Amino acid sequence: MKQLLIIFLAACLGMSAMGQENLSKRVIPLPSVEVKTLDGSVFNTKDIKNDGKPVIICFFATWCKPCMAELKNISDEYEDWQEETGVKIYAVSIDDTRSSSRVAPLVKGQGWEYEFLLDENSDFKRAMNVGDIPHTFVLDGEGNIVWQHASYAPGVEQEYIEAVRQILSTK
Amino acid sequence: MLNKNILAVLFFVLVSSLWAQNRFLKNSVITGNFQLDGQYYIPDTTIGADTIDNKVRANAFLNVNYSNGGFSAGFRYEFYQYPLIDFEKINYKGHGIPHYYAGYNHDYFEVVAGSFYEQFGNGLIYRSYENRNLGFDNATNGIKVVGKPYKGIRLVGIWGTQRNLFVKEGEIRGGDIDISFTEMIDKIKNSGFRFGVGGSFVSKFEKDNDLDYNLPQNVAAWATRMNFGYKDFNINAEFAQKFNDPGSLNNMIYKNGHALFITASYAMKGLGVYVTGLRTDNMDFRAKRNVVLNNNMINYVPTITREHTYALPSMFPYASQPLGQIGIQAQVNYQIPKKTKIGGKYGTDIMINYSRMHGIQQQWVEEAVESGDMAGTDGYTSRFFAFGDLYYQDLNIEISRKFTKSWKLALSYVYLIYNQEVIEGHAGEPNVNSHTVIADLTYKINNKHALRLELQHMYAKEHNGSWAYAQLEYTVAPHWFVSVLDRWNYGNPNPAKRVHYYMVSGSFVYKTTKVTLNFGKQYEGILCVGGVCRAVPASYGAGLSVVTSF
Repeated sequence: MKQLLIIFLAACLGMSAMGQENLSKRVIPLPSVEVKTLDGSVFNTKDIKNDGKPVIICFFATWCKPCMAELKNISDEYEDWQEETGVKIYAVSIDDTRSSSRVAPLVKGQGWEYEFLLDENSDFKRAMNVGDIPHTFVLDGEGNIVWQHASYAPGVEQEYIEAVRQILSTK
Repeated sequence: MLNKNILAVLFFVLVSSLWAQNRFLKNSVITGNFQLDGQYYIPDTTIGADTIDNKVRANAFLNVNYSNGGFSAGFRYEFYQYPLIDFEKINYKGHGIPHYYAGYNHDYFEVVAGSFYEQFGNGLIYRSYENRNLGFDNATNGIKVVGKPYKGIRLVGIWGTQRNLFVKEGEIRGGDIDISFTEMIDKIKNSGFRFGVGGSFVSKFEKDNDLDYNLPQNVAAWATRMNFGYKDFNINAEFAQKFNDPGSLNNMIYKNGHALFITASYAMKGLGVYVTGLRTDNMDFRAKRNVVLNNNMINYVPTITREHTYALPSMFPYASQPLGQIGIQAQVNYQIPKKTKIGGKYGTDIMINYSRMHGIQQQWVEEAVESGDMAGTDGYTSRFFAFGDLYYQDLNIEISRKFTKSWKLALSYVYLIYNQEVIEGHAGEPNVNSHTVIADLTYKINNKHALRLELQHMYAKEHNGSWAYAQLEYTVAPHWFVSVLDRWNYGNPNPAKRVHYYMVSGSFVYKTTKVTLNFGKQYEGILCVGGVCRAVPASYGAGLSVVTSF
């Protein structure tokens, strides 16, 4: 018990010291995995592009509450983000065939205007080393992963757009 | 075996580190993730948490992937030698490198050697996948070849043995073809229509050593599917058949199995409608005949009920019954538009979802009636639309609205009927009728700080009676989470069991690393993800979880 506590505190301390979440210097290219679009066509993830502008990828599932809150909260600001930075959001659902056909009516019913992809057997999730969802990635204009964050709390979305701004300013 | 694995890993690390220094091979990328879930157990007889000799347990794994252009390779080390008690109960115990692969990916083809996951169609005859939190992993170990000879055509062939817990057994081979006419023919693509078809075949081999029965050693299954869409409308259907496959789960009958899965949806901005139907009959398909629990599954029969996320309604989840079930699910999502009188400034979202599952009716064949036993016969016949006993019903309504920049409220009502006898195998227990109301309130204090309060109440006479639930969560973006919850079984017919299942937890997140510490009581229940469920025993104690990726 005591040991657990010590490990936890040490871990927290260590990580607090790291401070500001800057862009990663390590460049990870986007893996090539086949997923589906909402209408059932095959889509290769290497085609996740935005005319040389940054991209945000959000992993979610219809049964994941914080994921839905994340997409909902971003949707309130998405128009402003796009106007300011030209960023495009890809929302990747890891719902399997139990609920993957619920994704289209659900997200369109919400009026969300992201690009949606279905990763029914979690192949893209694995290739991106995603443990628990939500997990969000920011890609530079060349499609390299330069920033990522696991979990969601209201307000974290400001970090996403901040990372996008950093990419644009270092260009 | 293990030594060989370790050597392979060391070699792999050595080679990759040498490569990393080579500027000609600067495309080398190593990524991975790690997870540890540890628990310190304290006995508590009132909730049924037994005394455990080995009080400190943990599950851990590490994935490492290497890629360089189209080439990739990787492995997963799993440490479940002293696993959490729920994993020990399903025998998910051991350590080593059960998962390793290498592959090459090209525009026209793809090959994988080693462990892989793959799914044909909806998975009705073949799906290999993992769910680490459930202790489920039926990866196929062998060869996978994918061909993409022409746009819109995708061919897959697989051959291998199956992972079951920490051993590899059984023999599975199969193939799948998927044709999208939309992709292939530009005329269709530009017309607003979408059309695609697919088909798959899988066969398993298991030696017949049975003295009483003449068992089929090779059992085949096939499936065919289609997808049709026009603008906002979409329909998907898949039919599957499995040939005679007597085993302990279907009472050694020689009857063929069937499954039909149909989904239709319509979605436009602000409105989504969805209907799905499923019928399965003798469709339990496993690599071995005489197995139990979730072991050796080759196929995946999805359930078509909603997967609840709030704690109280998710106490009674439906578990797919491949041996026989028929049912439907329907859902409507509607957004009362933004900036209207009723919709408010941000709009109001409404979701209504309904599902109902029944068993199928069975008429025993003459031979079975005569001998008083189905074993060794064709078992039964079953009329397609004849509904048997009620297994599950779920009606739920959810309304959510953002009032101001700071306040958000979601209200839900869930009415569940749950057949314990069939879903949990508790003979003689009555159906559970439960009514749950939920209020979920979020208050965003400022850009970084937010409070969330969740209140739930479930009314039920059966099972453990009524429950109340409250949770308060405080978050400071992006690093901190703190949560306190209490789940109170105040309506338990046995006053001694009116227990407070409280849980205090805190997390720290930095980029892709999350460290969580919690203390409290875990209610004995069923954990389901997708169509697979398992029992989670009651526990009391402190937990530590570390998740990270690199």
